Amino acid sequence: MFSIIAHEELAPRVHRMRVRAPVVAAKAKPGQFIILIIDEKGERVPFTLSGWDEDAGLVDFVYIEVGKTTRRLAALKVGDEVAHFVGPLGRPAEIGRFGNVVAVVSGYGIAAMVPVLRSMKEQGNHVTTILQTPDRERLFGEADLQLFSDRIIPVIEPNGEEVTGSVTRSLRRLLANSAREPIHRVVAMASLCIMRVVSEITRPFAVKTMVHLTPLMVDGTGMCGACRLSVNGNNRFACVHGPEFDAHAVDGWEVMMARRCTYADESVLQQGFQCRGCSQW
Amino acid sequence: MSERNGQKASSEDGGSKKSKIDLNRLEMPKQAPEVRRRNFDEVATGYTYEMAMEEAKRCIQCKKRNCQQGCPVNIDIPDFIRLLQKGDIEGASRVLKAKTSLPGICGRVCPQEQQCEHACTLNKKGAPIAIGRLERFIADWERGEGIISMAQIAPTSLKQVAVVGSGPSGLTVASDLAIRGHRVTMFEALHVAGGVLMYGIPEFRLPKEIVQREVDYVASLGVEIRLDTVIGINYSLDELLRSRYQAVYLATGAGLPMFLGVPGENLNLVYSANEFLTRTNLMKAYLYPEYATPVKMGGRVAIIGGGNVAMDSARCAVRLGASEVSVIYRRTRDEMPARLEEVENAEEEGIRFYFLCAPTAFIGDGRNNVAAMELIRMRLGEPDSSGRRRPVPIPGSDYVMEVDTVVVSLGTTPNPLISSTTPDLKTSRRGTVLVDDRGRTSKARVWAGGDIVSGGATVISAMGEGRRAASAMHQFLSE
Ligand SMILES: Cc1cc2nc3c(=O)[nH]c(=O)nc-3n(C[C@H](O)[C@H](O)[C@H](O)COP(=O)(O)OP(=O)(O)OC[C@H]3O[C@@H](n4cnc5c(N)ncnc54)[C@H](O)[C@@H]3O)c2cc1C
Ligand SMILES: Cc1cc2nc3c(=O)[nH]c(=O)nc-3n(C[C@H](O)[C@H](O)[C@H](O)COP(=O)(O)OP(=O)(O)OC[C@H]3O[C@@H](n4cnc5c(N)ncnc54)[C@H](O)[C@@H]3O)c2cc1C
Ligand code: SF4
Ligand code: SF4
Ligand code: FES
Repeated sequence: MFSIIAHEELAPRVHRMRVRAPVVAAKAKPGQFIILIIDEKGERVPFTLSGWDEDAGLVDFVYIEVGKTTRRLAALKVGDEVAHFVGPLGRPAEIGRFGNVVAVVSGYGIAAMVPVLRSMKEQGNHVTTILQTPDRERLFGEADLQLFSDRIIPVIEPNGEEVTGSVTRSLRRLLANSAREPIHRVVAMASLCIMRVVSEITRPFAVKTMVHLTPLMVDGTGMCGACRLSVNGNNRFACVHGPEFDAHAVDGWEVMMARRCTYADESVLQQGFQCRGCSQW
Repeated sequence: MSERNGQKASSEDGGSKKSKIDLNRLEMPKQAPEVRRRNFDEVATGYTYEMAMEEAKRCIQCKKRNCQQGCPVNIDIPDFIRLLQKGDIEGASRVLKAKTSLPGICGRVCPQEQQCEHACTLNKKGAPIAIGRLERFIADWERGEGIISMAQIAPTSLKQVAVVGSGPSGLTVASDLAIRGHRVTMFEALHVAGGVLMYGIPEFRLPKEIVQREVDYVASLGVEIRLDTVIGINYSLDELLRSRYQAVYLATGAGLPMFLGVPGENLNLVYSANEFLTRTNLMKAYLYPEYATPVKMGGRVAIIGGGNVAMDSARCAVRLGASEVSVIYRRTRDEMPARLEEVENAEEEGIRFYFLCAPTAFIGDGRNNVAAMELIRMRLGEPDSSGRRRPVPIPGSDYVMEVDTVVVSLGTTPNPLISSTTPDLKTSRRGTVLVDDRGRTSKARVWAGGDIVSGGATVISAMGEGRRAASAMHQFLSE
């Protein structure tokens, strides 16, 4: 059993949970995720690590209430336990000394990108962060991002349907300016739609763009193939070969997004996940 | 398996004394096909006490012990049957437990028709003793009576062993070494122990409660089971060897699903058998929403492949409510690797078989859900290296079949998580770990067995390899 050490609401339906899991904390790297199961009848659900403390044996993640499991999570209190907790899964995010890095975040990516940006800063990169949120009320995590970003561009877009449009405008502006201030790398942890659009915008500029993909997962260790997607024509499993991928090598975004929504109902219409024009709707 | 209605016949096989031999091999009661198509309860309901006695009495106690030689773990079959004939079920169980800690499982899923029962003297007359069913009866009877016959545990050796993977191979090594007095820790990546027995083989063939009982038995021997722990991630193999473990046994199975590599294979509702079966069995999607994991499936389900995994997928699909389940296999019924008994069960349950054809593409419905598949017909050509005749596509024979869900069950290869993080562990081109004839790998203090070595075989062979490695490991630990 894994006990809950802290649990707070960061914004409406957005929560941070801290769990005692020393084995996970000992190996955690930026961009990796865990899978938890609340009880023996529960589903295995993945969450990206947003922080950890190896010495204390604690790990953090931020989740958005979208469906059954996340609603049940939200009802748990400090001192309660979850039955299973496994990780860190997936490959860590690629960190290096790239120069100017642009991060695009929305939803839980606002928190889960923090460890990535911390390492990026440690490597001496200049970090610009585009932070998308639907309204002021649901803005969270800005302070943490501030610590590891040289500049934050908030995109507060009241009309959910325009979300991808406004992120696009900010990114385009940066790219248009890239003769004076070159962009060496873009990294995105946001809704699949935003990441897809981001990858299409950076493609003509040949700016290497990494995206954190979230297809459906079951085991998270490469056994079930639920998380498979096509990368450069090869089948890749997001849980072991990803979840970070070179966006320009990912083919078949449409298929991946459809697969991701196999079990989605209206609940998919969550913060940062407004999927206008999605093939499933 | 089809039963022959043999008559009482006198035999020359029964040794020197001429005895009447009973060739009435006793059928095991089964749920009727129309009933079992609608539930996940066990298909075969098992022998009653009387039936077990009747079947046991048929055994002629051959001196040559053909049956025993047919069993990969060398169970003292004539001895346990003799005790059963006397009504000493506890004694019979002890005989079983000396060679297998998983009798309730072997009795159910062993391909007996190719092993012990194939070798049984009475098989010459077409009526081998139903050894598997008797094993199952003994294990179930113990469970019913709440009796657990424990093996004698040797005094502690103060040596520690790590077993990676809790499938049948890992469970066997863990119990064998624990009985010999070593301290065993078993690591399992998933949230329950049991390997394929839990996530692959469905409830209606192997109730999960039985698997968990066997897991509990192994734990009761003092084995520490650490779930939710992935070797290669939480600890590398080298870290295990550097820490408190003197030896390691790798039994991580062959969990990586293979795909056809044809266009459209990633469309929505094209599953790997591993995902389909894991959702259904391990996560109990058939009890959704009581259990939180769903499995989405359309009415017309096509299963690609002809092995046990394909049969299990097809039979799960029927039970989950599919209106039409088709098995697509590129050779003929005779070449199907699945157990005949399970093929017959599947046929009874209304599953249709399409032989000599293979998918060449999957076609979407415009919303990226699979809607149809393109198939090409095959004919059998020259035998290949496996001795089976190779399927050859017939040009221009393409046709289209409409489907709502596809389950690809082509087989699996070993997961590279450990080998990719352990450069000095030698593997074959197929990714299987190379071992000598006692299960020793190229790496000092590391043994391996089960599907990670064979690339995919049977429960009992995974156990047999575990048993062999355990005795080699015990020898090493005792030096
Ligand atoms: C690698 C990875 C990292 C993730 N990190 C985070 C995170 O840090 N914070 C966060 O809030 N969410 C994260 N998610 C998404 C999160 O797993 C889902 O929101 C969660 O499973 C929803 O569960 P539910 O029962 O509440 O909702 P459901 O009602 O089951 O589903 C709601 C939505 O979540 C999707 N979903 C459901 N189950 C899964 C699953 N097993 N895998 C992926 N998506 C699923 C559905 O397609 C649907 O769109 C991540 C997903 C992946 C694959
Ligand atoms: C659907 C299906 C039906 C079958 N039907 C039959 C049948 O009727 N009769 C029969 O004899 N055989 C059958 N088989 C084959 C049989 O189940 C396998 O041969 C047998 O289970 C192999 O045992 P194993 O111990 O080697 O591995 P597995 O049973 O595969 O167990 C391996 C375990 O290791 C764990 N693991 C993997 N990697 C790691 C890691 N890095 N760290 C920690 N743990 C890890 C896995 O999660 C798993 O629990 C079937 C197989 C399938 C898939
Ligand atoms: S373990 Fe399998 S092969 Fe051996 S006797 Fe039992 S059923 Fe037969
Ligand atoms: S099980 Fe068959 S081979 Fe074995 S002793 Fe009995 S009759 Fe002989
Ligand atoms: S989640 Fe099962 S293979 Fe990735």
